[in-house]
Amino acid sequence: MNALTPIQRDRGLQRLRRLTFGATAGALVAVVGVSYVAAASYAGKSSATAASTTTSTTTTADSSSTSSSTSLQPTQAPTTGSSGSGTVTSGGS
Amino acid sequence: MTVALKSWTALGTSVHVIATDADGLGRATTAVGDVLEDVDTAYSRFREDSELSRLNASPGRTVRVSPLLATAIDAAQRAARLTDGAVDPTIGQAIRVAGYDDDFSRIAAQDGPINLRAWRVPGWQAIRFDRRSRTVLLPPGVELDLGSTGKALAADLAARAALAATGAGGVLVSLGGDIATAGTPPAGGWRIHVTEDSREKPDGDGEVICLPAGGVATSSTTVRRWTRGAAVLHHIIDPQTSLPTTGPFRTVTVAAATCLDANIASTAAIVRGTAAIEWLMGWGLPARLVENDGTIHYIGRWPDPSGIAA
Repeated sequence: MNALTPIQRDRGLQRLRRLTFGATAGALVAVVGVSYVAAASYAGKSSATAASTTTSTTTTADSSSTSSSTSLQPTQAPTTGSSGSGTVTSGGS
Repeated sequence: MTVALKSWTALGTSVHVIATDADGLGRATTAVGDVLEDVDTAYSRFREDSELSRLNASPGRTVRVSPLLATAIDAAQRAARLTDGAVDPTIGQAIRVAGYDDDFSRIAAQDGPINLRAWRVPGWQAIRFDRRSRTVLLPPGVELDLGSTGKALAADLAARAALAATGAGGVLVSLGGDIATAGTPPAGGWRIHVTEDSREKPDGDGEVICLPAGGVATSSTTVRRWTRGAAVLHHIIDPQTSLPTTGPFRTVTVAAATCLDANIASTAAIVRGTAAIEWLMGWGLPARLVENDGTIHYIGRWPDPSGIAA
C-alpha cells in the first residue's frame, strides 16, 4: 500500500468532512419532516378552547365497539322457531 | 340446554338478560346494569346532567367527551353515512319540537296543540367530531339525539360486558326489543318473538325466529305515539322534514351482525319507505316489513312462515 502525500491526505479529510456534514444535514431534514407528518396526523385542540364534560364511566367502549365497518354487516340467517322458555320479544318500544 | 332469564326496567324501557350458564346470570345482570348506568349518564337526552345534555347546551364550543359518548357519536355518524342521512343524530331539536321532550311516561299525558313546520335538520355533517381527541363542536342550532342508535349500541355493549362477566356460554340482552347476543347460543339458536310492540308476551301475535348469532332490532311507528291537538305523532323523525315519518311501513325488523347495525337498518327502512326493500336487499340483510295495512313482507333470508320466499 502506497503512503499518502500530505496534499492527498488533506483532500481526503476535506471530503470526509463534507460527507459528514451532508449526512448530518440530511438526517436533520428527515427528523423535521417526520415530526411534521406526525404532528399533522395527530391533530388536537388547544386546552384553552376545549371545554370538558367528560364523565367517569367504567364501560369499555373503544372504536371496535361500534363496528367501524363501512358497511352494514349481515349475520347468519335466522330460522323459523317456536315459542318456549327463554323466548324474548323484539318489537317497537 | 336450559337458560336463565332476568327482567327489569331501565332507561325507560324493559331489560331482559338471558344466560345459558344459569350460575352466571347474576354476574351478567350486574354487568348489564353497570353498562346501562354508564349509558344513562353519558347520553340520556332526558337528564339535564348527562354529558349529552351538557354538550347540547354548549353550542359553538369545543367539548371533550368521555370515551362512551365519543363511541356513541361515532356510531351515530356511521349510521348517518351508511343510510345517506336517513338516520341522523341531528334530529334533537326536531323531536323536541314535535313534543318528545321528556321521559315518554310523562309525554303521553299531555295533549295540548302544537305548531309544527317542515324543515330539514342540520345534518350529521354539521357535527365537528374528532375521534382521536374525543372533541365535539356543535354549531348553534344543532342538537344531538342518540336515542335510536344509542339504545342498540347499549345492547351490544351490555351483551359483551355480560359475556365477559360470566366467562362462558352465551348471553342475550334485550333493551326494549333491541336484542344483542354474545358467545355461544343455546341449541337451535336464540328464540326471538318478532312482533310490533316489545311489550307483547312471547306467546302473543307475531312469529318466533331462531337467531344463531348477532342482533335483531325492530323499529315501529305503532308505539311511542302521542297526541297534540288533532295530530297523532310518533318518535321516528324523517330528517328531510323534521316531522314524524309518513311512509308505507309501520314496523320493520332486521337481523344483522350487531344490534346496532340491525337498528340502523330497521330505522332507515321506516324513513326510506318503499325504497327500503331494495336498499335492505342490497345490504343482504334479512328483514320483516309490515305495511300500514298489516301486509307483511319477508326479504333476504328472513324465514317466511308460509314457506314462500319473497
